[in-house]
Parts: sequence; structure tokens; C-alpha cells
Amino acid sequence: MADLKINSLHKYYGSMHAVKGVDLEIPKGEFTVLVGQSGCGKSTLLRTIAGLEEIDEGSIEIDGEVVNDVAPKDRDIAMVFQNYALYPYMTVFDNIAFGLRARKTPKVEIEEKVAEASRMLSIDHLLERYPRQLSGGQLQRVAIGRAIVRQARIYLFDEPLSNLDAQLRDEMRGEIKRLHRELGKTMIYVTHDQIEAMTMADRIVLLRDGKIEQQGSPLDLYERPATKYVAGFLGSPSMNFIDGMVTENKVTINNSNHSLDIPEQIKNKLTSHANKAIIVGIRPEHFSRADIANHQQYSKLSVNIELVQPTGSRSYVTFRLGQNPAVAELRPQDLLGHNTTIELSVDMSRVIYIDPITEMTI
Amino acid sequence: MKNKRPLSQLILGDRGFKYQLIAPSIFILLLIGIFPLIYTLLVSFQGITMMDNDTSFHGLQNYTALGTDTRLWEALMHTIIFTCIALPIELLLGLLMAQLFIDKLPGRQIFIALLVLPVVVAPVVSGATWSLLLDTRFGPINQILGWFTGEEVTLLWTINPDLVYPSILAAEIWQWTPFMFLLLLAALSAVDKSQLEAASIDGAGYWTTFFKIVLPAIWPVMAVAILIRGLDLFRLFDIVWALTRGGPGTMTETISIFTYVKGFQQFETSYTGAVALLIIILLSVLVIGALKKVEIAR
Repeated sequence: MADLKINSLHKYYGSMHAVKGVDLEIPKGEFTVLVGQSGCGKSTLLRTIAGLEEIDEGSIEIDGEVVNDVAPKDRDIAMVFQNYALYPYMTVFDNIAFGLRARKTPKVEIEEKVAEASRMLSIDHLLERYPRQLSGGQLQRVAIGRAIVRQARIYLFDEPLSNLDAQLRDEMRGEIKRLHRELGKTMIYVTHDQIEAMTMADRIVLLRDGKIEQQGSPLDLYERPATKYVAGFLGSPSMNFIDGMVTENKVTINNSNHSLDIPEQIKNKLTSHANKAIIVGIRPEHFSRADIANHQQYSKLSVNIELVQPTGSRSYVTFRLGQNPAVAELRPQDLLGHNTTIELSVDMSRVIYIDPITEMTI
Repeated sequence: MKNKRPLSQLILGDRGFKYQLIAPSIFILLLIGIFPLIYTLLVSFQGITMMDNDTSFHGLQNYTALGTDTRLWEALMHTIIFTCIALPIELLLGLLMAQLFIDKLPGRQIFIALLVLPVVVAPVVSGATWSLLLDTRFGPINQILGWFTGEEVTLLWTINPDLVYPSILAAEIWQWTPFMFLLLLAALSAVDKSQLEAASIDGAGYWTTFFKIVLPAIWPVMAVAILIRGLDLFRLFDIVWALTRGGPGTMTETISIFTYVKGFQQFETSYTGAVALLIIILLSVLVIGALKKVEIAR
């Protein structure tokens, strides 16, 4: 049963069409991540679910009840804001207890619940402090505490980690995912960060320009992107897009003497594109040193390395395929240095093919 | 060990540049602030009146006279009454108007500009205007009341003892509510919107949100606004002078009017000096108390 159902939702800000007809069903207990670049309408969508923005067309149903005209306080939702939005003149305890008090919860129960929530987030030693006395990470925990202390139907997160430094962000990512498992509640999480989306989501809803571009499990979107946009959005470093032509059994790369062999099982998919332009999408990790991978599904390329960026565990090397810059992710010991020519293999079974006109994958 | 540098070098040397910069303002401050204060203090121990230029030392004579001057204590009482009625009304009206204008309604800018006009008018001018408005025979207020009652209305707004207070308060509130409105509007616009949104999701109603989130946020500005208006009201002069000159009798005489009458109509100069110092002491105590309170509230 769908916990949240959105039907052809439209939202305008003046003449700006922010959300252009979104249909979405989110099952109970699922962790859904709305992801997309800034301005794609993901935050607006979240705010309409919360009731902070009125919708212009369509409907939002929670547990089968249309809530279009229901005030935020009666929707039984909890939300974590990007800037935390803690009440500065209240202690941490009062901040967390605010929602319970507003709902006339008995005092003993409030104390129990606040204690429990603060223990879950390990902020029980901060209850008497004021928000101005806390660090960014602690503020974030309090904001989450304020949300989870209430038994809401849906929990909303609006880019909650974007104000934290990288290390804290990694930590909190795990923390929020753990909370989701412990509470088993429906959570909707907005972010522009594809790593957050990939690591946390049960399901990713990728938005572009006010519309859903694709939705599905993280690996689904990663392995089988429906469009070039999705393919390029997920993954870091992002997918390499190489312009080429389909010729018999091969894709020849434009402006170069490189070509990639098309594996048997994919040939019939590309017959309709014979002798037409095509974009080949190759993820950096699907390159490897030629001598390591010697199998018929691999295609060999000889490239001149322009730049090497070691990260420790992996090294990123930049080179050109035709006119397109490309990045490969290799093991550090595979490398000789820049301005050298090396042989690379491409795992052709993982490559995706994109129609350059429709930008859809084939 | 370096010897302590002489004062002249401290002031005239390179490092004394900052002192040189503030010296003119300190000089002016001493001239117009401290000198008159000390002079008033001196005069208040003498016996100068219009008839008698007696500059001999009279001790605390003027100060003991303050205690038995019922007109003075009544004037103080009138001042307190004006302050205690006008201040809360100005505050509440200003807050209500600010709440009303916080939403971005069409024409908001024009209305705000119009609403702020009374503050721009000099109090004497606004007093004179109100005096015309309230005129018994020609004033539009009586005329408009006449349309409703159906007969000629000749209320003596500035003479009838039952009407003088409402008249003065109306003019005072009309003039200074926009001041509160402006300050509170600015304070309200600075309240973090996401906190209000968080409260609405938390299930807080209008009043809970107002008292728990909005009020603490605007309190520092509000406290300063109350302090400024409170001090202004304590020195209330122009509007009362224009409307009633403290009358009928001394019924609406404020402490400022009393001081003016004593000093510049009856020329009891030394006694007025004592009154002025009494007011300064009273206000200082009030202001210091109020400032402490604001500090603690933060």
C-alpha cells in the first residue's frame, strides 16, 4: 500500500513552472531520495508534501487521504531543514520537546521520549544547552531529534547534510540510514549529492527540470540509466561520453583511429543504428590495463595519458578518445606516469549506448 | 624597563592619533552636556528668581521645597498616566499593524509610506493640527460626530475635563504608533522563516508560535523601542502644550510643562534647576534599570 501518492502535481512561482506534473508513489517504510541539480524542483516537491507550499494542480495523498488543503500541522509529518531551523531561545530539550508540547503530550511521556531520541542520536549530554553553544554536527543531530521524537507518518529531510564538512557528512549519512532501519518509517530525503542518493536510498527519484527523469533502486539507475542525463548524473567521476559511429561489429570513435568491438549479445540491439552516430557511455571503473583483462568482451585501446590524479586507493587518469576527454579509474600500481602511452581494455558488456538525438539509452 | 611615557607624548605622539581624532567630539560633549549639567547643579543651590539675582549658597532649600510642592508631584503623576496608557497602546497597535504588513500584499510599499507620515511631522505641528481637528465649532471631528447623532455636536475636546486626556492620548498615539510599527516590522521581517515553518510542522498554533518563537526573536528590538518611546513620553510636551497648555487648570500638566512654566514663565530659576536635576535622576534610574533588564533577557 502506498503511504504517499502524488498525482500529476504542478507548482508555479509566478510565471516560473517549478514542478511540471510529477506522479509518484512511495510505499510505507521506504527510504526515498529525491535527487537532482539545484533548481530541478526537488525541494519544492518536498515542501508541497510538507504543506509549506500550496500546489496549483494535482493532488497529494497520505494514507489514502487527499491532503491538498490540510495544514502542515495536521498532516502528521516531521521535517529536518537544511539550515536546521532550531529555535534559538530554547534549550536542546525544549527544542526537541516543542512538537510534543504543541500536541499536548503528558509531561512524563515527553521526558521519556526526549530521553530516548537524544540517546539514539547521542546528544543526551547536550539537553541543557542552547543551539548557539553547539557545533554544526550537534545542531544537525538536534534537528533530527526534533523530527524523530514524534511518531509522524512521514519524515522529510531537506538537504540536511549540506552544511556539514565532508567527514561529518559521511558519519551522519550512516546515522540517518541506521535511524531509518530502527524506526522503519517512510522517509523522503532531498539532496543534490549523488553519493548521498546512492548510499542511502532504497529508491532514487531523479528529477530534472521539474519532472521525474527516472526512478528506481540506486543500482538500477547506475547500471541501467534510461537517459544520458541519468547516466552522467550518477557516479563520480562521472561517466565518459564518447562520440562515435556504428559500423559493422564496431563503434569507430570520431576523429581518431580508435574503435570498440561490439559484443555478440548486443549486436542486434544496435542493428537499427547501423551507420549512424552514437554516443558510447563508459564508466571510469570499466577501464582496466590491457594485460590484466584479456577476454573477448574487452576491447583494447591505446591511449596517451595527459594527467594522473592519485587518490590513494585508486588513481584517475585523463586522456582523449577522439575529441572527447575521458577518465579511467585504475589501480595505482598500473601506472607509469603522464605523457606515456598505455594499453587500456574496456569492459564492453558494461558499456551503454545512447542515441545522440533523443539522448535515450538504446 | 621602559619608563612610563608622559601624558603629552601619549596624546600628541603617533599612538595618540586616536585620541586626537575623538578629541573634538569629547570637547563638544563636555560643552553641551556636562557644562550645563554642572551649571544647573550650581544654580539649584542658589536663590535666583525673576525679582532677585541672589547667587549666595542656599543649601538644600530648593530640594526640600520639592517635597512639599503638590503641583510638581501631580505633574509627575500626569506624566506617568500618559506614559502608562499611551505606551502599551502604541506597542500593541504597532505590533498589530506590523503583523498585518509582514505579508507581501499588493500596494504594501505605498501603505507603509503613508502610515509612516505622522512620524515625519514635527510634534508641535501635529499638536496644532489636532487642535484644529478638535475645534469645538469648526473641527471636523465634531462635525463628523454630528452626522451620526443627527444634531450639532459641540464637545469641548480641549477644555472638558472628561475629554482632555482622550484627546491628548489620541494625538500622541496617532503620531507615534507608526514609529513602533516601523521598528517592529523590521524586526518581524528578520525572523527566520524556516523556524516558523518548523513550528507549523511541529503542530504549534498561532499563539504558541508567536509567544515561543516570534516574540523572543523580536524582543531586543521591542525592548529598545519601548525604552525610546518611554523616555519620549516621559518628556511629553509639544502635543499637550498645543492642545491644552496643561489645562484645564493644571489637569494635564506634565513634568516638562511644569518645568517650562516654572522656569520660563515664572522665572524661579534656581527652583527649576532643582526640578530638572530631580527629573534627570529619575530618568537615569529608570533607564539603567531598563537596560539591565534587557541585558538579562538576552
